[in-house]
Order: sequence, then structure tokens, then C-alpha cells
Amino acid sequence: MTTDGKTILSLESLKIGYTKGARNDAILPPINASACRSELVAVIGRNGIGKSTLLRTVTGIQKSLEGKISINNKNINDYSRLQLAHNIGYISTEVIKVSNMRVYDLVALGRFPHTNWFGKIDPVNHEAVIDSLEKTGMLTFYDRFVTELSDGERQRVMIARVLAQDTAIMVMDEPTAFLDISSKYEIIHLMNELARYRGKTIIYSTHDLETAISQTDKIWLLLDDQLREGAPEDLILEGSFEHLFDSSKVSFNSGNGTLSIKKDEKGSVFVEGEGAVKYWTEKAVNRAGFSIARKKRNTIVRAPSGKNTKWVLLREDLYLEFGSIYELAAFLII
Amino acid sequence: MKTEYLTLTATFQPSRTRHRLIFPGLILLVLIFFILDILLGSVSLEVSEVITALSGTADTGVETIIMKFRIPKAITATVVGIALSLSGLQMQTLFRNPMAGPYVLGISSGASLGVAFIVLGLSANISPDSLKGLGNWSLVAASWAGAGVIMIVMLFLASRVKDILTVLIIGIMLSGGISAIVSIMQYFSHETMLKAYVIWTMGSLGNLTASQLNVLLLSVSAGIILSLLSVKMLNALLLGENYAGSIGLNIRFSRIIIFTGTSILAGSITAFCGPIGFIGIAVPHIARILFRTSDHKILIPGTILTGSAVMLLSDIISQMPGSDNVLPVNSITALMGIPIVIWVIMRNRKYSGIF
Repeated sequence: MTTDGKTILSLESLKIGYTKGARNDAILPPINASACRSELVAVIGRNGIGKSTLLRTVTGIQKSLEGKISINNKNINDYSRLQLAHNIGYISTEVIKVSNMRVYDLVALGRFPHTNWFGKIDPVNHEAVIDSLEKTGMLTFYDRFVTELSDGERQRVMIARVLAQDTAIMVMDEPTAFLDISSKYEIIHLMNELARYRGKTIIYSTHDLETAISQTDKIWLLLDDQLREGAPEDLILEGSFEHLFDSSKVSFNSGNGTLSIKKDEKGSVFVEGEGAVKYWTEKAVNRAGFSIARKKRNTIVRAPSGKNTKWVLLREDLYLEFGSIYELAAFLII
Repeated sequence: MKTEYLTLTATFQPSRTRHRLIFPGLILLVLIFFILDILLGSVSLEVSEVITALSGTADTGVETIIMKFRIPKAITATVVGIALSLSGLQMQTLFRNPMAGPYVLGISSGASLGVAFIVLGLSANISPDSLKGLGNWSLVAASWAGAGVIMIVMLFLASRVKDILTVLIIGIMLSGGISAIVSIMQYFSHETMLKAYVIWTMGSLGNLTASQLNVLLLSVSAGIILSLLSVKMLNALLLGENYAGSIGLNIRFSRIIIFTGTSILAGSITAFCGPIGFIGIAVPHIARILFRTSDHKILIPGTILTGSAVMLLSDIISQMPGSDNVLPVNSITALMGIPIVIWVIMRNRKYSGIF
């Protein structure tokens, strides 16, 4: 763990959980982790392990049971609620459904720590609201009602709200859940940009391991017995991700960082062919429950090449032709 | 370039044209209703009669009607409208529930329990004649306390059930429990006190003495000041407590302020005018429809104006102008409020949780 001048957030022997009467129910062993300025950090762990609790505790909404959370080397317990709001912003999974609330008003609420007792939006605050809407690409939506937005648009507005709050750290609980694929990548792209070019430290929880591995600077991996942190690549090489899965059902390919579901293997198949056609034919054969052989075996699948436009299956005395991978896979699965 | 940018951002101001039209319109409406409320009644008056009465040169009969009855009643109606609507608005935001209101959630019942303790509970020990000597402040304070206690109970229960209509049912249960307690107290109380209490429960805008009206005006002013102080907090609470906390709101402090304001507003009205239903729940929705905003900077003045207009109108209708009959103002507010409440329930079937 590095503690140079760039570290903005650090967790030391942090215990999170709930108090029941006099008893503390810590849901995880003590956590040590840190995040630096301008970093995109993904929090990964199985459902129910305590990702949301961790994020709420880091934000100061929930009390920690033990240990220390520091922002800029100062314990968050020494910050007032308002000072904390100047340093750390938060987006939960809760969907804002206030009728008659316009996008502008929602983003303007992010200015809460900066406005006077009446919440007056003066020109400086107005400029900040407009600026945040512009950075998230939502400026033209400023007069729309928040209840009329799509999931992706609403998530952008929520990010604009935290931007308007003007904090160095942004904490987001599953910002890409419920989003369609294109909105999901747009949001990830936006978060990346904010970290890279606006110097924001963004800590977000996600279940999308593959995107996290390819996009983030650091991963906080929540396991039952500890929190492991590091660059995604470090964690891959340490073999940490394997702890996430039931190894009898899912395998994590440390070669390319992808996941696959394990199946009982029915045998091995050699695939002849080249390029993309070979690659996807192998995928289909794999999916049908066969492993891919490196050398010629009894069963051979010949992918289309040149004049030949059909998939051919050769096994002992068997010779079958298929017009598509779909037909081939359907045969192999049986 | 700089000026161009400024004009560009100026165009992204949220549109306020709607508000610029509605505010003067509502003020005008309140003025018209206020004047009509003075003029109309079992005895119809001319404007000229009112003017001469105000200058003190009219004949004593008309002057008494205007100065002793009509004007105090119109002021009371305005104040009642303001206080109940504002407390309803604050409760809807605090509970994050469009169905919240002083009457439906049992807050008015709580206030009446406070009043019952004063009027009935003490009657065992004191003579009926000393009821007046108890003072308006003790009456109103008991009412605040009753309203406050029920509000704490409701907030505690409402935080455990998220469903809007379940909260409503709990409110009905609480009101039922309170009226049971009051019935028991009535059973054991002195005849004269019982009558005083029953008359009080019928609710009226016109029975206030000058000193009671003063107490009412002072209390409601305090309540209005507290709501104006909570504008920013109420806006933050729209997002729910997690978000409100994360943007820097001190939840406990804001709850205490909003609580106190709401209890004072609802309690004071109940103490002097009896339980008046459906204004608190319905008026904030009318204001939201008119102003199409969730911003309390607009909604609070909007609710104040809408509430006064609706209550003055209810009072005018209850006078049944041109006839000698007077309808209970409770019935009028119920008939006007209930359709709005039903409309909100029907709309919420689609967006559960929205207000």
C-alpha cells in the first residue's frame, strides 16, 4: 500500500457493519485500502458481501465500527457533515422519483454545500450547474422532469449532480446496473474521462468484472476473508479473482481476463480453419461442451474456407455438412 | 466571447414565466375571496358599507358584524388555510409520502387529544367556570404537544413501512385509538366540559375571541418563519435521507426544525378551530400542479397563497350566501379535498413512491 502525497483516501483496519444494541456485527474482516487522486477504482465482490455498506461507510453516511477512514490524511470523524460534503460525493442505487423536479433543480441540489441558508442559486452556482450539465452531455435536458428520463440519462444527471457538488472524491454504488449496453459504456467512458482529465477520484462498485479489468486503475476486491487491492493486472497475476467464483462452475481465464462457465467435457474436437471463422467456430464447439484439441483427433470440424462455404464434421465414418454454426452447435449439444 | 457565453448560460435558466403569471394571479384571487368572505353571509353587505364601517362612521349594527365577526373570521380562514397547507407540504416532504397531511396521519387527532386533556382531563379537579382562566396558551401548548407526539410516533412507524398506503392505514388506526381514548375521557368528564369539548370538535372559524386570534396569529407566524428557514433542508430531503446527508444536510437538526414547525402549525389550528380535514393533504398538490416544481422556494409561498384561497372559498361556500343556514366548514373542505386525494392515489398506482 502506497502512502505518498497523492493518496487522497485511505482505509486503515476499517470494520464495517451494523450495531445491534451493544453488539457490533462486522460483516467483513478489517479492511485496508487506499485510493489516489485521479484514479478510477472498482469495488468488486459477490452479492451481499458488503460493497454498498463499504461505500456508505466511506461516504460517512454510515458509522464505521472500528478503524479509520482518512481523506487528505484527516479522519472523516473530524470533518463536519458539511465539510465532508465538500470532499466526497455519493450516488446510491436508489432511483430519484420526485415528480415535478426538473433536471436543473436536481443538479442544483448538488450545490447544497456551496449555497447560502436559503439555497439561493447565484450566478456562480448557476455557472457550476451549467458546467456540470455540459460535461455530462445533459445540458439540453436542463428543463426536463427527472421522472421522464431514461435510466442512462438519469444516471448522467446524477453524475452531473455530484460534479456540481465539486468534490475530489466521487463514490458510486453500481452506476451501470440496469443500463443497456451502450449507456453502460457511455457512463464508464464518462467516469474514465472525469478521473483522467478532471482529477476526480472515482470509487464505484460493479459486477462487471471484464469492464473493470480493462478500464480501471485499481480494483478493491472484496473477498470473505480480506480486501485485496491492486491494479487489475496485479490481481490477475496473483490469481485473486479465482476466489470470487465457485471453481467447479466458472473458470477465470488469466490469459485474457475473461470468464467461462465450466461444463462436463464430452471430448475434444480439432477445428480446421483460419481467422475469425476458426475463432468463433471454436467458441461454439466449446459452448457445446467439447474442449479444443491442438492436434488432429478423431473428431474434426472443418470451418468454411475458400470455395467451401459449409461446416463439415468428420468423425470416424461420419461426414456431415452444416450451413451455419447454429446447426453445427445444435448437433454437437445433442 | 465572454458576453456571448453569458447570454448562452442565461438561456439555460429554468423557466420562471409560469411562476410570474401564477403568483400575481393567486394574490389577486386571495384578495377577491377575502373581500367576498367579508361581504357575503346571512346578511349581504355592500362595499360602501364596509368602507364606512372601517372608517368608524357606520351604524353600530353593521359595524359590529364587520369588525367583530366578518373580518376576524376572514383572517382566521386565511391563517387556517396557510397553516394547514404548509404543515401538509412539510409533512409530505419529510415523510416522502404524497398522502401525508396533518389530518390523515392523525396529527390533528393528536392535537385534539392534547386539547381533550386540558378541557376534559382537568375538569375533575377544577370548576367549569375556570376553563377560560386556563388561558389560550396552555390550550395551544397542549395541542402542539399532542401533535408533536403523534408525529414522532408516525415518523418512527413510517420509516419501517415503505408503502405509502400502509402509512395511511397506520394513521387511521392511530386516529381511531385516539378517539377511543377521548371517548373514555368524555365518559368520565363533567357535563359542561363535555359540551365545551363537543362544540370544539365541530370546528369553526368564527368562534375565536380577539385574544385567541392573537395567539393564533403569533403561533402561525412562528410556524411560517420556521418553514421559511427550512426551505433548503426540505429541498435536500426530497432526495431521501442518504442523499441529503451526502450533500451535507444535518438530518437530525433539520428534522427537529421541520418537526417543530409542523407541530406548531397543525397544533395551533386544531386548538382553536377544531380538526379541519383535507386542506393539509390537498393544497400542496394543487400548488404542485399550478407551479410544476418541487422547489420549496416556490412551493412554500405557492402553498401559502393557494391554502388561503382554498380556505376562504370554503368559508364563503359554508356561509351559503343569501340563506340563513351555515354549513360546517369541515364538510366543505372534505368535499373539496377528497377528490384531489383520490386523484393522487390513482396517479400513484403508476409511479409508486412519487409525489
